[in-house]
Amino acid sequence: MVSFPYGRAAFCLLVLALLSGSWLALHPAYHQKVTLTYWTFAKPHYLAYQKALPAFEDAHPGVKVDLQLVSGQATGSRLLATFWSDLDAPDLVETEISTAGSFFRGPLKDIGFLDVTDRIHQTGLWDGMVQARFSAYTTRGRIFGLPHDVHPVQLAYRRDIFEKEGIDVRQIKTWDDFVRIGRKVTIPNHRYMIELSDSGAENLEMCLFQRGGGYFNPRGECTFDDETAVQTMLWYVPLVAGPHKIGNSLGGGQILTQAAEEGYFLCFVCPDWRSKSIEQDIPSLAGKMGLMPLPVAEPGGRPTSTWGGTMLGITRKSKHQDLAWALAMHFYLDKPGLAERFRQTNILPALRSAWKQEAFQEPRPYWGGQALGETYARLAPLVPPQFSSPYVVTAKAKLSEALVACVQYYNANGGAGFEAFVRRQLALNAGQVRSMVNRNPFSQ
Amino acid sequence: MSSSINPAVAPPTRAALDRSARWHRFQHRAAPYIFVSPFLILFAIFGFWPLLRSLILAFYITNGPKSQVFVGLANFRYLMADPDFHTAVRNTAVYTFWSLFVQLPLALGLAILLNQKWVKGRAWLRLAFFAPNLMGQVFVGVLFSVLFMPQYGLLNKALHGLIGTPLDTKWLGNPALVMPALVITSLWMYVGFNMIYFLASLQAVDQDLYEAATVDGANGWRQFLAVTLPSIKPVAIYVMITATIGSFQLFELPYILLNNSAGPNNSGLTIVMYLYNNGFVTGDLGYASAIGWTLAIGMLIISLIQIRVTGDRKERAL
Amino acid sequence: MKATPGVRTARTLVHVALIAASLVTLTPFVWLVASTLKTNQDLFHYTFFAPTISFQSYRDLLRAEPSFLRSLMNSTFVACTIVSVQLFFSSLAGFALAKYEFKGKKQIMIFMLATMLIPGQVTLAPLYALIYKLHLLDTYTGLIIPGAVNVLGIFLFRQSILQVPDELLQAARIDGCSEFRIYWNIVMPVTRPMIGAFCLLGFMGAWNSWLWPQILLQHSERFTLPIFLNQFRDVYAQQYGALMAGTLLSVLPVIVLFLVLQKEFVAGLTSGAVKG
Repeated sequence: MVSFPYGRAAFCLLVLALLSGSWLALHPAYHQKVTLTYWTFAKPHYLAYQKALPAFEDAHPGVKVDLQLVSGQATGSRLLATFWSDLDAPDLVETEISTAGSFFRGPLKDIGFLDVTDRIHQTGLWDGMVQARFSAYTTRGRIFGLPHDVHPVQLAYRRDIFEKEGIDVRQIKTWDDFVRIGRKVTIPNHRYMIELSDSGAENLEMCLFQRGGGYFNPRGECTFDDETAVQTMLWYVPLVAGPHKIGNSLGGGQILTQAAEEGYFLCFVCPDWRSKSIEQDIPSLAGKMGLMPLPVAEPGGRPTSTWGGTMLGITRKSKHQDLAWALAMHFYLDKPGLAERFRQTNILPALRSAWKQEAFQEPRPYWGGQALGETYARLAPLVPPQFSSPYVVTAKAKLSEALVACVQYYNANGGAGFEAFVRRQLALNAGQVRSMVNRNPFSQ
Repeated sequence: MSSSINPAVAPPTRAALDRSARWHRFQHRAAPYIFVSPFLILFAIFGFWPLLRSLILAFYITNGPKSQVFVGLANFRYLMADPDFHTAVRNTAVYTFWSLFVQLPLALGLAILLNQKWVKGRAWLRLAFFAPNLMGQVFVGVLFSVLFMPQYGLLNKALHGLIGTPLDTKWLGNPALVMPALVITSLWMYVGFNMIYFLASLQAVDQDLYEAATVDGANGWRQFLAVTLPSIKPVAIYVMITATIGSFQLFELPYILLNNSAGPNNSGLTIVMYLYNNGFVTGDLGYASAIGWTLAIGMLIISLIQIRVTGDRKERAL
Repeated sequence: MKATPGVRTARTLVHVALIAASLVTLTPFVWLVASTLKTNQDLFHYTFFAPTISFQSYRDLLRAEPSFLRSLMNSTFVACTIVSVQLFFSSLAGFALAKYEFKGKKQIMIFMLATMLIPGQVTLAPLYALIYKLHLLDTYTGLIIPGAVNVLGIFLFRQSILQVPDELLQAARIDGCSEFRIYWNIVMPVTRPMIGAFCLLGFMGAWNSWLWPQILLQHSERFTLPIFLNQFRDVYAQQYGALMAGTLLSVLPVIVLFLVLQKEFVAGLTSGAVKG
């Protein structure tokens, strides 16, 4: 060691390189021994599939499935890079609804996912599943994935505080009712009627969908500066900005838990998947929470919307496409399995016939004995469609930009000239998305 | 070598000596080429070739590395007109301004204090100020994204306790506060790092100059201007240029801090983040090359201006 | 030299300010350590340490998928290999450029200096395309080789080898040493302090590197720690405790290495700037 010419530090590094290198050589990765690799970005899905997997492996002797929990970012950009570059791709991938479109940037023949349109029609899934959920996974008339879910939206509310304040949820029919009551109970910096974001588009987009608007139309044209979008923005901004705001947001995880326990928020926008995170992250509020349909924008309007979603795609590179399809069917069609998973995740599957099972009618103590599954299933057929485009992620960012600008304007100037500003801002941001769409030489 | 020491071995023949001498001369002449070649070959393949390729690629739109379409100067035209790029340039410039005009003076001030013999525990203080630099930008980004949280984050708690700012200040959610949050983080990371440079140069200042200045009646501020500043000038210029280059290349810190995004309203978007998003999220390697060259040319111009400005002053001082 | 009372007060104030500033600087570290020793429930209830110490965060971290241990090994392997390769190539080339006169030397120097002025981001996209063509995407080799090219290292080594007296080399030549032996047995041992600094700088660079592994790696089994941690935050959004434990364990090796090499490091870090 003394005679090593580079000295002690370099010697240590060299030894460490050799040691770690041999450790890695002795511990080959698990995936080399498996038949199918399955990526999911959602931890609840991952945990639920882990339980459903042995049944599939038993039915297919010799088949080994490697279920991997991968970050949402990885299923977005990493998978895209895999598709560009002939690398080993997983066989099945679940990807988030807004990133699904980014796989459709190139010509049809270059899309890394398998075209499952024919399989869907042959197996009767087209009629068996909520059809609105296919639209986000469709490009140029072809379908490239299966919908995992429906994700209808309700509001979760603090039953205990509502009772104390004498609020009767049955009287909240429209957003106007909701806002009126919200103004009464909100105490700035201490208590807000609802958790709503003033910087990200996730809640705004939900309101936009509820009113029949969206980022793109079925032809892939950017539409978030149409009249519906303008009206939605004009209505939304005063909820989260200005002196009379009733909404605020802090962040997720333990932050949200703590805030919810302290009664900082009275209501939460609550798609089915989120009802489970609330149950798990805020156990102390068991029995103190309730669910109500989304207030409608105008009488006769849609009492729900949608937030989030997951597409299951089979990759074109998969060496076992039929087996992959069989696994997809096992996860997405097996009714007892779906019932079991519903109990674990609260996520309503896209397969309508599954909702009649007992699991979906059970009263849930956490929600004050409400039959959670039933409340969501009732709204599920009304869920609005979302249309795909390679630029959904961009559009989302641009709508967030518009929101932030409008919030700033409203905070500074109030309602004066606000409508003109909103129109200008939305047109500007949507225009940016359009110029990006027009630049793409591949989408023919 | 050992044979000449060992008496048991017969002395080498004249022919063998010749051969050995020729071999020695040959390997002496060949050695430098052999020594630089491993590096040079690697550098040519992984440094120089991509550089040439990027010049060509900048005129294409690509979908990943496989398919590409020639578009001429369209990439540069789109770049100049894209409001997102303008935002990126503005953010990068603001950040650079802060690191040059706040971070470096702070670092110099700290270095001057820690250079005073009467300050006790200098070694410990130096270590404390330098420590944050040991954490990479990614790790700092993860840590500070938690420290900046509204309601329960350490910074909000501290500020609330000290000066009563609202607990739910959204450092990373409010576009107006993202840049301050970024500057705070980078001050924490880099003041100590630059301090080390200043400290080393201060320690190298010739003490006789101070004595001469004191004899001339200069003290305090005058002494600083007349002796300290000129002596540390080469290091100051070096630190300034590296800080500028580093600021221009800012990417990981805001990207991780803002949870893999450019932040609300692109308030944390930097030029390199813009490059990354277009090249490796969208998949347009051609556009990414165009952004890279634009950045390179911008940096070159700024560096030349800096050298020019500081160089002129030097000549005036002489 | 006696200090007047005014000066004494000023000096006390400076001490107080410096100590306060250093404590503020260290606070995030203290918080980081504290946050890893709390249960998830206590994490935001207590600002720093909770009354009961819990290692739940570390257990959560070690149980997570992809494996933290594997990422640690990946990082160690990649960073140590990069530094070793860099060290060998850079010092060898630095030696040649410092102690030999040969055709093309000037051109090589100018050429390398010129490329140092161009930021690495310019070549990012074409380098990615090249690595793709060489079938090195998602491999350790693809991580290590581009990282092994360190132009700055060559100049650092050249500078410090220039100070080795020529007589030493001549004497060795007369003794019949080959040129490589001169490099290995004479030049390198003399430049050891510089090597220590170089190792730490190179190690920090490779250990903390994020962008290149981020675009290059696909499979979680080859993730380095920065990639692992960033993904961990995304996937395990609720577990700040485990996230902080991962952060702490990720920065610990660098801190240890720094404490060992501190003296050499500061000297090496500043030598280029102060002397050059």
